[in-house]
This record gives sequence, structure tokens and C-alpha cells, in this order.
Amino acid sequence: MGFVTNSAGSFFNRSLAQMADLRAGIERTRAQIATGRKLERGSDDPAAAAQLRSIARREALARVEGDNAARLGQDLAAGASEIEAVTALLQRARELAVQAASTPTGPDGRQAIAFELEQLGQELFSRANAVSLTGEPLFAGQSTGAAFTRDAAGNVTYVGTPESGAVPVAPGTAIERGLPGSSVFEFDLNGTPSSAFAVLGTLTAALQGGAPDPVAAANAALEGIDAALDTTNRAVTILGTRMAWTEQVEAQQGERMIVLAERRSRVGDTDIADAIARLQQSLTALEASQSAFARVSSLTLFDALR
Amino acid sequence: MPTAIFTIGRSGLSASRRSLELTAQNIANASNPDYSRRVLTQGELVMTGSIGTNSVDSLGGVKPGTIERAESALVQRQARDSASALAAAEAEFFALREAESALETSGVFTGIVDFEAALTRLQNNPTEPALRLSAVEAGRKMAGNFRIANGTLANARGLVQAEASAEALTVSERAAELAKINADLVSAREGTAGRAALLDARDKALRGLAEEFAITPTINANGTADVTLTGVPPVALVTGATAQNVSVTFAADGTASFSVGGTPFVPGGGAMAGRASALAEMADLQTSLDALASSAINLANTAQANGVGLDGNPGQPLFGGTGAGDINIVLASADGLATAPAGAPAGSRDVANLAALIASYAGPSGPATGADSLLLGLSSRVSALETRAEGLSVVAASAEAELLRETGVDLDDEAANLVRLQQAFEANSRVIQVAAELFDTILGLR
Repeated sequence: MGFVTNSAGSFFNRSLAQMADLRAGIERTRAQIATGRKLERGSDDPAAAAQLRSIARREALARVEGDNAARLGQDLAAGASEIEAVTALLQRARELAVQAASTPTGPDGRQAIAFELEQLGQELFSRANAVSLTGEPLFAGQSTGAAFTRDAAGNVTYVGTPESGAVPVAPGTAIERGLPGSSVFEFDLNGTPSSAFAVLGTLTAALQGGAPDPVAAANAALEGIDAALDTTNRAVTILGTRMAWTEQVEAQQGERMIVLAERRSRVGDTDIADAIARLQQSLTALEASQSAFARVSSLTLFDALR
Repeated sequence: MPTAIFTIGRSGLSASRRSLELTAQNIANASNPDYSRRVLTQGELVMTGSIGTNSVDSLGGVKPGTIERAESALVQRQARDSASALAAAEAEFFALREAESALETSGVFTGIVDFEAALTRLQNNPTEPALRLSAVEAGRKMAGNFRIANGTLANARGLVQAEASAEALTVSERAAELAKINADLVSAREGTAGRAALLDARDKALRGLAEEFAITPTINANGTADVTLTGVPPVALVTGATAQNVSVTFAADGTASFSVGGTPFVPGGGAMAGRASALAEMADLQTSLDALASSAINLANTAQANGVGLDGNPGQPLFGGTGAGDINIVLASADGLATAPAGAPAGSRDVANLAALIASYAGPSGPATGADSLLLGLSSRVSALETRAEGLSVVAASAEAELLRETGVDLDDEAANLVRLQQAFEANSRVIQVAAELFDTILGLR
């Protein structure tokens, strides 16, 4: 009699191992459906896990860059609206200067004009030191202090930095945070550095009786006010361009977030239809295998012998 | 010779009863994986007497022979070797998977990315206290995640080491047990049930040893087994009735070294070899993790030293410590984050220095890339080990099935034997009955 037989133990071991395999597969598919993730751990698919990590990093940074861009847009808009107000203010000052330059306006009228000009000067100063929503000065460049200071004699000086610094809004893209006060309110007048404050101050002083010929002084001031208006117009244009740029970057960010999300979903998310089909398939196989096991395992000679 | 018929019937009865007992024993042990099925050999009993040329045969029935045990040294060896290889791969796989979970779930990578994101957000407005504070707290979280990773890795290492120590004791005990079996086998008589049971125990002990260490057993003619552990150098574990002690010691970096009876050796296979290589890889992981933490520390502190804080003073170190175990935030106040380059005045919103720090963190030698490649390397290794363990488990399962086919109990076979032996027993009883009737017939003659 040979020793090679169909061992009962071997049959049970084999069947159990096969059913355990099926069960494990079902468990895995179920977990994929429940969590929505294809990968439970990195070793399930190392390359996909690495891709998911880099997507997660890119997403985290893109979210922050998006916030940065939104805040930058707000700061730029705040700066632009201040400068627009300044433009209106300078236009009013120009009207006043034209009035003062006309001979019919008497000394009293000039006095009144001087008074209004003085108020406009005050407003100009406070607008130049305007702050953003979070309380940072809009025109001080990289400095956190006031952009302009006024000494006892009324002379206004720019104390910010000449650069305003850039904010990264996308990989490799940084947009200047705003404009330093020196390029909004200061300009070059016939080869001499001057500023909107100086022009208005000089005119006010002249109309208040500081000049022997106020009409000539008012005419002279017109040139300075025009230069100041040119400068603020240029500033508004620059800020407007940057705001448009920021908006464009924000739109791109939105699209990139969608692309990233799509990519993450493609790499790491469970395809529900596929998973459910596979689950059904495994369940059928397990059921069939269980009932086959039950039948075959009852097929011993002992059952036949009564 | 009516008495001969009685003797023949009785011998038949006794032989079939003993065979029945053995069949019952086989059935009872059908689910015992260490049991090798037995059969009873039988021999015809004939007595021949001769005087001169006259010879007379006297039939004596059947003689129950020896108990034979289904044995197949080759298949046993195949099953042992494949189980040994599988144990090595599985031990390494489970240990490294533990390490993978430790590093992945501790969130080292996420911590680094969050710190990078907080720094990027700070660039928007470097003087805002909330943003500064959140950057420092993100750094604290990153440091905390490094420490968690360090702790969980140490935990995983500790588990493997504890397992190795416990299994070393088990191996020593199994070796002592095998030595005792060897001693008993020398005195056990051939063909007895006791000897068959001892041989079962011997094969079981060999299988147990093979799971932990790759072994080269030598089966001697008397059935005893001498065991040499395969490795560098090969060392004798069991020789006859003497067994050596196996011990394992761990170096400071967690790697294991083994010795048998005082002789150091490097195992060539089995779960212990798997654990040893897992421990060596964990030591490498620890080195990489420490290097990663130290690069995170150094990049941040170098950037701090190159710039000035909100108050215009030179930046103080952001992180303290030298590795993943002791990295922590040492900067006293968030105002001390050196966002502005050296020479900038107090309250500067210049972010040149902060941008340099972000660039160095995001660079190819920065911690984010380092953590990514560390995780990628580890998970690739775990994935490869899993594939290997799966392949080996198929091989081991088929070797095990082969072994069971050679030595296991087939219930159908045993059921058929039961019927056959029962009939034989009944037939022998009938023979005795016939003999009794013959006697009665003779005694009844008048």
C-alpha cells in the first residue's frame, strides 16, 4: 500500500487558506469603499503614495498662496482707493489754485482758498499714512511705522523704505505688495525733488500772505499740482495692473486646485463602481467557495457508512 | 489439530484488533499536524518441524509486526526549508510594516509641509503677530511629529527586540527538548508506538527550530537528529543528547547579534534572520530620521542667524536638539523669527530672509524632499517584502500540503480500513466459532 493519500488535514488547510484570502480581499475592498481611499498605507503602492504626498504638499502651499493672493488683492485695492481719493483731492486743489490765480479773487477770497488748501493738506497727509485692513501702513514700503512724518515747521518727510517687498502668490510668482509713498507722493519738478505736500504747503503759505505776488505763486503752483496728479495717476495705473495680475493669478490658482484635486482623486480615491463590482465578485466567490467546502467536507466515507 | 484453528483464529483476532486500534489512533489524530500516520505490518506465522526428510508444517495464523510510520525525509526537509524562508520574510515584513506605520502616521511629512505653509503665509505680512505665532506653532508641531516618529520607531524596534529575546529562549528550550528526544530515541525499540511518537516529536522540534533559524539537520541511523545552525560560521546547536544555549544581544543602535553556546554567529535564515535584518534597517531608518530632523534644525537656525527679528536684533536659534528625539522649539517669542535680512531696521516688513528659509526648506536637500524619499524608500521596501512573503507563503503552503499528503491521515482511507478490519475481525470470530463447533462435533461422537 502506497503512502500517498489525500490527507484530510491538507484539504482543510487549503480550503481555509483560500477562504481567508477571499475574506481578506473583501475586507480590503470594504475599507476602500468606507474610507474612499485606494491606499491604506504607503506600501500598498509606493509610487502612488509618493505622488499623493507631493500633491498634498502642493495643495497645502497652493491654499496658502491663494490666501496670500486674496489678501494682497485687498491691500492693493485699499491702496488704489486711497490714491484715487488723493487724485480727487489734488484736482480740487488745482481748481482752487486756478481760482487763486485769477486776478478778480481778492485777498479775502485767497485767504479762504488758503484755508481750504490747508485742510486738503491735512487730508493728504492722513491719506498718505493710511493703513490696511490689518493695520499695516499702505505706503510705508517695508516699514511698519508711519510712511510720512511732519516736523514742527510743517515739512513732510518720507520715512518708509524705497521698496515695498513682494508676496509669493504662486510657484515662482511674487507680486509687489504695494507702492512706497515716495513713488506716489514725491516727484521731480524741473530737476528738483518735490512732493505733493511741499507743493500744497508752499501754495497755502503764499496765499496766506507769505508771497508778495500771490497770483504768480498760484500760477507757479499749478505746474507742481499737475506733476503730483501725474504721479498719482501713474500709481493708480500700476496698482490697477497689479490687481488685475493678482486676479489672474487667483483664477489660475483656482484652476490649479481643481487639477490637483482631480489628480489626487485619480491616484488615491476609490473608484466606487469598480470597488463595488469587485466586492460583489469576491462575495460571490466566497459564498460559492463556502458552500463547495461544506459539500466536499461532508463527503467522507464515514457519512456513507451506516 | 482443532487447537490450531483456535490459535489461528485468535492470532487473526488479535492482529485485526491491533490494526483497528491503530486505525482509531489515526482517525483521532487526523487534525494533529505533527502526527504521521501509522500502519501495522503483519507476517504469516508458520512453524515447520522436520525430522530427516519428513517435514511437517503447522500453521500458526498471523503475527502482528511492527508499527510503521509514514516518513519522507525529503518532503519534511522541503517543508522545513520553505517554512524557514517564509518565516524570515514575514518577520522582516511585519517588523518593517510596523516601522512604516510609525513614520507614516506620526505625520513627519505633514508637519514639515504645514511648517512650510505657515512660513509662506507669514510672507504675506511678516509683522502680523498672529501669523508669526502660527509659524512658530507650526514649527512646534513639526518638532513634535519628529519626536512622535522617533518614539514610535523606538517602540517598533522594542517590539522586534522583545520578540527576538523571547524566541531565543524558545529556541534554547526546543534544542534542549530535541536533545532529550535524541536520548530517548537511542533506547526506544524499533517498531513500537513509543518510538513512532518520539519520531513525531523529533520532526516537530526540527520544524519549530527551522522556523526561527535556518538549520542543517543530520538524521542518524538510530533516528536521532543532530542540528547545525546555518550561518556564518555554521555552529552546532544539538549534538546527540547535548544542546547549546542560544542568546541574543542588542547594540546601542538596536541591531541584534546572536551567539550559540558562546560562539557568535550570523543566522543565515529563519525568523531570527528576518528580525536581525529588520533591526538593521530600523537602525538605518533612525539614522535617516535623525539626519532629517537635524537638517530641519540646521536650515532654520542658519536662516535665523542670517537675519533679524521684529525688534531688529539678530535672530536666535529657532530649534534646539540634534536629532529626531530631542528636536524642540527654543525661540522664546514669535517676534524673534528672523524674517528680515541682517541690517534691516526694527519692524521691517522685508521678507528676504524668510524667503531664503522657505527656499532652503523646499529645496532638493530640504526636509520635505528628505521625508518624502525616506517614506518612499521604506514603503517600496515594505511592498517588495510583502510580495516576497506572499510568494514564499505559496511555496510553503504547497510544501506543507505535500508533507500532509505524504504523512497525513486520509479519513476516507481510514474509513475503508475500519470496514475491512471490522470484517476481518468478524471473520476471525467466525473461525473460532467453527473450531468450537468442530470440537463439539468430535466430543458429541457416540
